[in-house]
Amino acid sequence: MVSIEIEAFTRVEGNGGAEIIIENGEVKDVRVKIFEGPRFFELLTLGRHYWDVPDLEARICAICYLSHSVASVLGIERALGVEVPEEIMLLRELGLLGELIESHALHLYLLVAPDLFGYADAIRMASRHGEVVKEGLTIKAFGNYIREVIGGREIHGINVKPGGFGRYPTIEELERMERQSEALLKLARRAVGIFADQEYLGAKAEHYVAVNGYLYGDKLIADDEGGFDYFEHIEEKTLPYSFAKQSRYKGEVFMVGALPRVMLKHEALTPMAKHLYEEYKEKLSQGYASLNNLAQAIELVYALERTKEIAQNLLDRGIKGENVPVEPREGEGIGYVEAPRGVLVHHYRIDEKGNIAYSNIITPTAFNHAMMELSLYEEAKKRYGSSDEVTFLQKLEETVRAFDPCISCSVHVVRL
Amino acid sequence: MMLKLGVFELTDCGGCALNILFLYERLFDLLEFYEIKEFHMASSFREHDTLDVAIVTGSVSTQRDLNLLHYARNHSNYLIALGTCATHGDVQASVEGKIREKLERVYGTRANPMKALDSTPIVQHVAVDYALPGCPYDKDELYQVLMNLAKGVEPPTKDYPVCVECKLNEYECVLVKREIPCLGPITLGGCNAACIKSHLGCIGCRGPLPKEANPASEFEILKELGYDEEYIRRKFKTFARGELRW
Repeated sequence: MVSIEIEAFTRVEGNGGAEIIIENGEVKDVRVKIFEGPRFFELLTLGRHYWDVPDLEARICAICYLSHSVASVLGIERALGVEVPEEIMLLRELGLLGELIESHALHLYLLVAPDLFGYADAIRMASRHGEVVKEGLTIKAFGNYIREVIGGREIHGINVKPGGFGRYPTIEELERMERQSEALLKLARRAVGIFADQEYLGAKAEHYVAVNGYLYGDKLIADDEGGFDYFEHIEEKTLPYSFAKQSRYKGEVFMVGALPRVMLKHEALTPMAKHLYEEYKEKLSQGYASLNNLAQAIELVYALERTKEIAQNLLDRGIKGENVPVEPREGEGIGYVEAPRGVLVHHYRIDEKGNIAYSNIITPTAFNHAMMELSLYEEAKKRYGSSDEVTFLQKLEETVRAFDPCISCSVHVVRL
Repeated sequence: MMLKLGVFELTDCGGCALNILFLYERLFDLLEFYEIKEFHMASSFREHDTLDVAIVTGSVSTQRDLNLLHYARNHSNYLIALGTCATHGDVQASVEGKIREKLERVYGTRANPMKALDSTPIVQHVAVDYALPGCPYDKDELYQVLMNLAKGVEPPTKDYPVCVECKLNEYECVLVKREIPCLGPITLGGCNAACIKSHLGCIGCRGPLPKEANPASEFEILKELGYDEEYIRRKFKTFARGELRW
């Protein structure tokens, strides 16, 4: 028995690698190893007052901090029986859209595009394809602008709170979002063509799982199931070689992320994004993991169109800026959000004083862990013995990258 | 001569490495002076020889982190501890209890095959040449530090509380006027009072103000406002466990 190591994945967030086990000249097994250290967020928030919790949970991940804040706030509000008006939900959605724009632009233009153009990174790629890198950075900066306005800072702002916001956006800020989202649509539309050409890599998922709303909701859905709670059909197990746990849906490997979202929720897409979905429908339904990149590119178009819609809507009706009062009481609630890389769950029980008595967080990369292993296994099996070693390892890394894994997030998949 | 730069990520949220990419065009300005030899979030390119400047983010939370930290220290002339995980330990260091107890409570086993450690800041393990806290740090400040180093100037450090930035921005004091628990008076400034801009209290993410912080007085003020002692204690310890005495 021999094994091939991918010592550390590059152009992904966090510290992880893989081991490909070869026996009798064949790929026998693949293990995705997460060696980012555990940070014990569930212990960190235990006994803390609900008001401070979203700010702490945001620290799980910088790329999707607002998804964590919003999921945390939704879980807490459900536990405390708080309902907020549409204006607040629209503003939260706007924040999630900003995060999706920032995160997808980072992933597609800076992390994946160098593979397609044959460079080690976007900085080296910029010497010949400066315009592509520049367009990516412009889109990414716009996503960050939204995160700064809604979230309070580009990274780890604390503006999203149970019951509403610390500060509400101004007319000028909303007008800028409306204007810029329109201007950037052209660039995003062009990106779809670039990522549509990528070769098929990885496995096909047996199931897709997503949240019932496009970016947030109160239940999960799957290709064969309407609204359910995560603990009804998803099981987790610990692994000896990783700080992340693995999940199965009804005992089978499943996928979360842009591809499952577009496939399960294309009805909810905005006009141009829906048109693009129709155009690439046949390709997307091939189901290979690498198509997640194409789905992300289509979502970039969706997010820009939807940002414009929401900004216009809020400008038309005017911002009231009134928070809903929140009173501590005993309760339990789950927040479901679509982080850029897939389903994110924050589950809390709160005691009568308003302190956290239980929490469980499951992140998209944890949900995708088994699917990442399966994809690497199939890709390795296909290529072992026929590709040279450099290509072999390069293609395996590209396969992992398609999941847009966020390894910092994945080590918080724990239940108390 | 181009300076050789390496970015090493230990256990963290990825934000401190990401924030470097958020410099956008100014990152390309820095690349007039620096050559990136290691930055795994951004590049597949790696060339391991000696570095002029090593940036280390994150806390030491595994044996691997510790080995990587020693590698970075032994191969660099100037080491920057970047972000509150590196300088004070951040939220993961505030989780109490011994590692095996924590593993048992969370993973259901005391076994530790991946060699996890209790999270500690890197300043506890190696000598650092410059410490820039913040969760995340202010990217303009990092830009200035790297530009100073490129010109051979030792970068200055900040030494004033968040309150100073609040005053400069003419924000209303949320602690005095709205009785919101705000750690601004005892927290190192440099964030441009981001949380108070959101009409919320400072949560202390840049760590305590060196030397001059008066946590005992802040503790009394919050107690008088009706916050219970345990609540205040945990708030104080969130980003810099064990550093504030009162």
